Amino acid sequence: MSHHPHGSRLASLALQFTTRDLRNRYLGSLSGLVWAVVQPLLLLATYAIVFVEVLKVRLPDAVGAGFVPYLALGLWPWTAFAEGLVRGSNAIVEHTSMLSKIAVPKLLIVFAPVAGSFLIHGVGFLMVLAALDLSQVPIQWQGLPVALLLYLCLFLWTLGLAWMLSALTVFVRDLAHVIPQVLTLGFFLTPVFFAREMIPPRFALLTDANPMSVYLDGFRAAMLGTQGLGDRAWLALAAALAALALGLVLFRRLDRHLEDFL
Amino acid sequence: MSAAPLVQARGLGKRYPRVTHPRDRLRALARLVLGRDMPDATEVLADVSLEVRAGESLAVIGENGAGKSTLLKLLTGVLAPSSGVVQVNGSVAALLELGAGFHPEYTGRENLALSSALLGFAPGELRSRIDDILAFADIGRYVDEPIKHYSSGMIVRLGFALVAARRPDLLITDEVLAVGDEAFQRKCVAWIEDYLSGGGTLLLVSHSMYHVRKLCRRALWLHHGRVQAYGDVHDVSQQYLAHEERRIAAEGRRPEAIGTGLEFGVVELRVEGDASELPCARGQGEPLRIEADVHSRDGRVPHLAIGLTRADGTAIYGTSSEMAGATPDRLDAHRFRFRLEFDALALLPGSYLVRAHAMDSEALRLFDTVERQLVVRGESREFGLVRLAHRWSGGGPATVSGGIA
Repeated sequence: MSHHPHGSRLASLALQFTTRDLRNRYLGSLSGLVWAVVQPLLLLATYAIVFVEVLKVRLPDAVGAGFVPYLALGLWPWTAFAEGLVRGSNAIVEHTSMLSKIAVPKLLIVFAPVAGSFLIHGVGFLMVLAALDLSQVPIQWQGLPVALLLYLCLFLWTLGLAWMLSALTVFVRDLAHVIPQVLTLGFFLTPVFFAREMIPPRFALLTDANPMSVYLDGFRAAMLGTQGLGDRAWLALAAALAALALGLVLFRRLDRHLEDFL
Repeated sequence: MSAAPLVQARGLGKRYPRVTHPRDRLRALARLVLGRDMPDATEVLADVSLEVRAGESLAVIGENGAGKSTLLKLLTGVLAPSSGVVQVNGSVAALLELGAGFHPEYTGRENLALSSALLGFAPGELRSRIDDILAFADIGRYVDEPIKHYSSGMIVRLGFALVAARRPDLLITDEVLAVGDEAFQRKCVAWIEDYLSGGGTLLLVSHSMYHVRKLCRRALWLHHGRVQAYGDVHDVSQQYLAHEERRIAAEGRRPEAIGTGLEFGVVELRVEGDASELPCARGQGEPLRIEADVHSRDGRVPHLAIGLTRADGTAIYGTSSEMAGATPDRLDAHRFRFRLEFDALALLPGSYLVRAHAMDSEALRLFDTVERQLVVRGESREFGLVRLAHRWSGGGPATVSGGIA
């Protein structure tokens, strides 16, 4: 069918949908974007007080980084991932009324909230890095290109999963409730608050085979100079490409039937 | 103009899966992932083939639920067909539903940004066309207010103005013309006529046979999801209207008027001898004959008031049998027949209502009201509702233009 737009039109539509998604988040709230800027810094300050000053958490020396920078470099990418996945998975069901009236490339409906999440938290991520730098944490800025590349991989991995889950959610509505629960579990099975070095060896597979732990460790290695990914580095790219390919195949297979089940 | 049709559909069908239980959805998902067909489904459209060449205009008509909207959704790509193929070779703009694609929280201007991108405007193209669009929509300062504050008419104006600016190869509209006020409707119809004469192609769904015949040269009649007739608009719409009349007659018209217990009730209103509920079409300056049968519960002689109004109810002219001292024919103990004739309709082309009111013997109280749509056809550039007898004079020979053309 010739209804599907191509190339530059698709790109301009993607841009339109993404800006609209960003605006939707702050629609009707006065503080709007100011909040998006202040919130990550406030959160970082809170973590510093609670974990370092109150709970006196310290990472093993082998990690080679302070707790707050270590946490910060895991938490922001995780938040972008989790939020993008939850909002992306719900996107098709949420846009039922629009999809039943006008012809819209559905892939873009899912793309927009994922891209929006990664943009907002990407900016927050950079601000947190700058704040850390200002508070005497040695940030390796020369690692930024690698970190951004990893961030792109993380985005593609999230997008692929979101395409898959958004199509499946149309058929299995329970997924809308299940996905946040699974993400909460995943949060504690991924080294965000703790380091991979602290896990007993019999649980090591849980984090080693977990693509999210690969991404987070990658960000820390690039920006803090902690132990590198070594032979796990290829997993970051492989996971992203596999999720993207699988997501596209599944979504395309179900695309033309989604309308019938909305 | 290329030889290939702009729109081509062959053997188009749509079946909706039957899903009553969440388990059905799971089973459907499994089948689809494995690349198999849906097992049991409800058929809403079957075996529709059509072809629209550039510059043609096609109307899709039929009863509610006949599958008209589904067909349009298949042609625009909102829905995927269960069988058959659709091919569209050109840009398409569709006005399928009131405010489709508009977000209520955003202003008109902001909504235009996304909607224009969906219509295929290049980035920046909207900026250069925005003045034209706003001039056509004519919604004034509302353009910077959220859409949720708009009236339905204003939403249609904005949507239509955007499409008008786009001038697509194919325009698809679904009954949206019925929403706006009359002035805007006329503006849209004028735009569509201009668009058609400029080589545009139209696919229109409408219940208004007036619009259908005015704008389209061919028609497709859908009946229970299948093509009942397809061809010249006058043939097809006449077949359809005849079918509708038979259907309405079979259902029995207004039997309740006698049984309602009203003292006086209009049992039947015939305009030009036609008692159906379909609009009556007359040419400008033609005579108009109205007959009404009034039921009188206790056999007293009733009176009848007849009014002509604009489609929005604004009164144009009203009179009654009592004013003229006319008495009806007594058909039986309870039934009285009134006849009223206008020699030459002074109404200008447009859509009007004929209203008949049953009144008591003293013509003091009004009991029952029955109305009928009247469409006056003709070509006239005059303004207003009626033609008043008049005469231009000046240096040259005066031209008389008051009588019947």
